[in-house]
Amino acid sequence: MDLKSLKKQESKRKISKGYMWALFCAVFWGIWYLPGTVVWVLNPFDEMYSAIAETGGDGSALIVTAVLITAFNALTVMLALMLWNGVLGKYGELVRTMKEFNPCSKWFFLASIFGGPMAILGSFIAMGFIGGAFAAVAALLYPVVGSVLAYYWYGEKISKRAAIGIGVIILGGITIFGGGLMTELSSGNVQWIGYLGGLMAAAGWGIEGAIAGKGLDISEPDVGLTLRFLGENIIWWIIVVPVLAILGYPMYSFALQAFEPMTLLVLIFAGITFGFCYVCWYKSFPLIGVGRGQGIGNLYGLFAIIFIFLFFGDVPQWSILVGGTLCVIGSFAMITEDTSALETLRGE
Amino acid sequence: MSGKRPMKFRILELFLDGNEHWNYEIVSKIQEEYDMRSNFHRDSINFDILELASGGMLKDVEQKVDEDGIYKKGFLLHRYVITDFGKSRGSDACLRYV
Repeated sequence: MDLKSLKKQESKRKISKGYMWALFCAVFWGIWYLPGTVVWVLNPFDEMYSAIAETGGDGSALIVTAVLITAFNALTVMLALMLWNGVLGKYGELVRTMKEFNPCSKWFFLASIFGGPMAILGSFIAMGFIGGAFAAVAALLYPVVGSVLAYYWYGEKISKRAAIGIGVIILGGITIFGGGLMTELSSGNVQWIGYLGGLMAAAGWGIEGAIAGKGLDISEPDVGLTLRFLGENIIWWIIVVPVLAILGYPMYSFALQAFEPMTLLVLIFAGITFGFCYVCWYKSFPLIGVGRGQGIGNLYGLFAIIFIFLFFGDVPQWSILVGGTLCVIGSFAMITEDTSALETLRGE
Repeated sequence: MSGKRPMKFRILELFLDGNEHWNYEIVSKIQEEYDMRSNFHRDSINFDILELASGGMLKDVEQKVDEDGIYKKGFLLHRYVITDFGKSRGSDACLRYV
């Protein structure tokens, strides 16, 4: 075969593989909202919620319960990723990368602060207070935060097209948040903390992406993601959970009760879907570019709504549907850029 | 070389000489240094190079068909050179301790 047709064949193979990874990411990410929503009504988390709510009020009960759920989520994601790295034979690389704290792994630990206590905790709060569909669609705003940060911080280009996409996504975001708020304002009962959770998810994931990118540039993503979740586990299990326990919240007694089959199953399901959505996400980037990888990945919002409808029978509010559609259109506007410009994403 | 660095650090380090290198040269050098000789590892190291290129640190400057099967018979071979961004990231990461 000659050079030209071989080049064509290679790029075709790369693109179809890249789209496959990105689509897997979207499916896994969308599915994650199922265990994320279900876990709230399972023991020990529902008991924990009502036990704390009796003495401390609904707000603190929700946040403390969300902390424990997020901590377990981090733990099961870590398990899934350790298994994955084992299969790939990357433990050696894991240790080598971890040792490079200053040039590399510090970025993962920094990213985990925004990814964990901000984005994932915010998502669980939004799921618990408002619902899975809202949580999923609200987080669709993260590329706006991410690309603005990347622009100011390391000069990543924002093309005209991407700017239009960002504008459409913001419109979608206003619809998602505004529609829900209006309904609740008229009924006089606004779940502010749930909306705050949605914003935390969007901002947290945007910031996480921009920071983690600094380390992921020069490391293997499978390894980098594992270190990022190692950081999150340290934050929850070594810092936050013990501090809350000292403050008098019954963290450990309820944490130990999580080891019953149904709860464990749901938590492991959350860990696998969440862990692999991250892995697939990063695998797609070198093949089709970060913009397209994220754009296709963002279809997770759509998948989440579909899965939630199929499994729970919940039809989301019109504002979530319209806003979510705008966000997906916006991310596609961001991704259908000229291919040649995507080969290199950064200004040289 | 004692205390190996992460693989991408080493790949960037090899490119920091400023010369153009073929992917198969880099892959086989890394395979040897890290004692990872399986085909699976070969592809995984090559994917690291792809990632560095898509991150804007390496630039694909030339391709040729692997007629003789030096790397993968019938597939494309790529020749890369480090970019300015790659130089600055690479020297941040690699040269600090050299």
